[in-house]
Amino acid sequence: MIAPLAVEALDLERTYASGRTTVAALAGVTLGIRRGEFVAVMGPSGSGKSTLLNVVAGLERPTGGTVRVDGEDLAKLDEVALARHRSKRVGMVFQAFNLLPRFSVVDNVALPLAFSGVPAAERVRRARAILDRLGMSARADHRSNELSGGELQRAAVARALIGDPAILLADEPTGNLDSVNGAALIALFEELHAQGQTVLLVTHDALIASHAQRTISMRDGRVVDG
Amino acid sequence: MRTRDLLGMSLGNYGRARLRSGLTTAGVAIGTALVVLLIALATGAEDNVRRSIFSIGDLRLVTVQPFQPGANGLSAVPRTITDDTVAKLKSVAHVDGVYRQFDAPLGMVVEGGDDATIRPQGIEPGAPVDRGDLLAGRHIEAGDRAVAVIPGNIARLVAPNAGAAVGRSVTMRVGGAVKLGSTRIGGSGTPRDYAVKIVGVFDEQASQTSFRIPLDDALLAGAENRGLTPDAIRETTGYSGLAVEADDSTNVADIVKAVQELGFSSFSLKQVVEQIDQGFGVFKGILAGIGGVALLVAAIGIANTMVMSVLERTREIGIMKAVGASPRDIRALFLVEAAYVGVFGGILGLALGLAGGQLIDRIIRQLNPRTNPAAIFVVGPDLALGALALALGVALLAGFLPARRAMRMSALSALRYE
Repeated sequence: MIAPLAVEALDLERTYASGRTTVAALAGVTLGIRRGEFVAVMGPSGSGKSTLLNVVAGLERPTGGTVRVDGEDLAKLDEVALARHRSKRVGMVFQAFNLLPRFSVVDNVALPLAFSGVPAAERVRRARAILDRLGMSARADHRSNELSGGELQRAAVARALIGDPAILLADEPTGNLDSVNGAALIALFEELHAQGQTVLLVTHDALIASHAQRTISMRDGRVVDG
Repeated sequence: MRTRDLLGMSLGNYGRARLRSGLTTAGVAIGTALVVLLIALATGAEDNVRRSIFSIGDLRLVTVQPFQPGANGLSAVPRTITDDTVAKLKSVAHVDGVYRQFDAPLGMVVEGGDDATIRPQGIEPGAPVDRGDLLAGRHIEAGDRAVAVIPGNIARLVAPNAGAAVGRSVTMRVGGAVKLGSTRIGGSGTPRDYAVKIVGVFDEQASQTSFRIPLDDALLAGAENRGLTPDAIRETTGYSGLAVEADDSTNVADIVKAVQELGFSSFSLKQVVEQIDQGFGVFKGILAGIGGVALLVAAIGIANTMVMSVLERTREIGIMKAVGASPRDIRALFLVEAAYVGVFGGILGLALGLAGGQLIDRIIRQLNPRTNPAAIFVVGPDLALGALALALGVALLAGFLPARRAMRMSALSALRYE
């Protein structure tokens, strides 16, 4: 049996106006990612891999083609619905961690739920449960600026997972980590994948990509192999 | 986003840049305090004026004067108030009662000596002027003849105190020469003495010479003074005035109109009060405007603080948007932060205004102990709530553009902002 698609892109385009010329970050990308898959997107910088991830995350709108995430056509969503998409359907992990430094770890992890109207007690309970699952309980009440890089990225993964997303997105998640912490993070992704989590990871590091089930290579805004 | 989370998160943001928030709040507080102080001053003055008007008389009362309407001073054209006028006024809608008054010539109470100058006022029982001001005895009643209700100062000239004067018979001399203050005024007509029994003594605050006697006694005295009959006086001279009482002060204007249509000049406190209210409305508006300028300056301060706040938190806005904050959530966060400045500034300003008013009041009284005892600054619940609402409104207005800017920020470029 073939699992339904978590991400489905058809002739996806994203162009930027740059002076008089236009630059195509995505020049017709067609791909599908099944639920439960662990896919790595590889390519040199400027290949459009991050743009692809941002479009799937609902942080950027495509200029052409269609993209469906968990069956939802993102082009049809208004700003409010797109915000809901970001809080519920996808979870995003960034290279720069992007945690709020003045919040505690548990509050950072619980933040997405605040925007979907979950009561405070329930938010904290769920945030602690996820931190526990990722082995981060001991750091839950620390401020995020007291954490090491590896811990920060784990907290960021916890935040990405709290909305129970259909797909976990990660943009160069190991880029700011040393090799030991990088390896540990990839191990975490593998573990999450083993538990059934769909993962879409963008990297330029072949070693990281080799942990994925499948690798999609991009160049100049196009899929060249995958 | 839940309201509680919104309020909590915005409060956290307000408290983060403590110095900046504090200074901005102080600006709002000073503006609010100024508005409160100035309006309280105007309200105090207005209350004072109104109170002294209310102490003069009843707002339901319209006094009909024996002149043509529009009469003032020398140009007054006399008109005769007759029983026909009274009958017509009694049939006017909302008129509760019409009381005739006839002033006999000036006179004196013989037993009281030279200083006991009186102005005998013939009134009807229940007349508005003869109500609720007794020190002793009773008011004029129906069927009374040869009685008088006299002011306290005259009573003390004929008896040791007000109470002792009641029941005493005195001689009322009408039309002779009298002393008013330090000047002597020659008499008019033929002086004539009447024996009257004092039945009541009233507090002389309003008038020290009004000597209230039954209407018919006054008409008789006036007639005999000029060698006429009371009926002739009624028809040719007419009454000195009428007190027309409305069923409610809101109907006074209608009655005034009816009086003027009958061809008589009228006077009502109600209309004076209305004019004063109008005058004070303008006065308050000007003062509020002056205070408003201070609030405007505060608003610019808020806008500046909020612009800084948005700029400083650009990355944070990006993160919040990336994890699911809707544009409305972001706008609400910044608007509520501005609202905190308004609310805290408003409360602080109100307290400052109240305390400042008390302080100024105390200083003025210390410098001049004979100051009118009524409060100089009056802050009613409507002014207090209005000031708070104004501070909040100004803050929201000032926060609107910065909040919109935060709302419209692209999540991706905000995340890249350093």
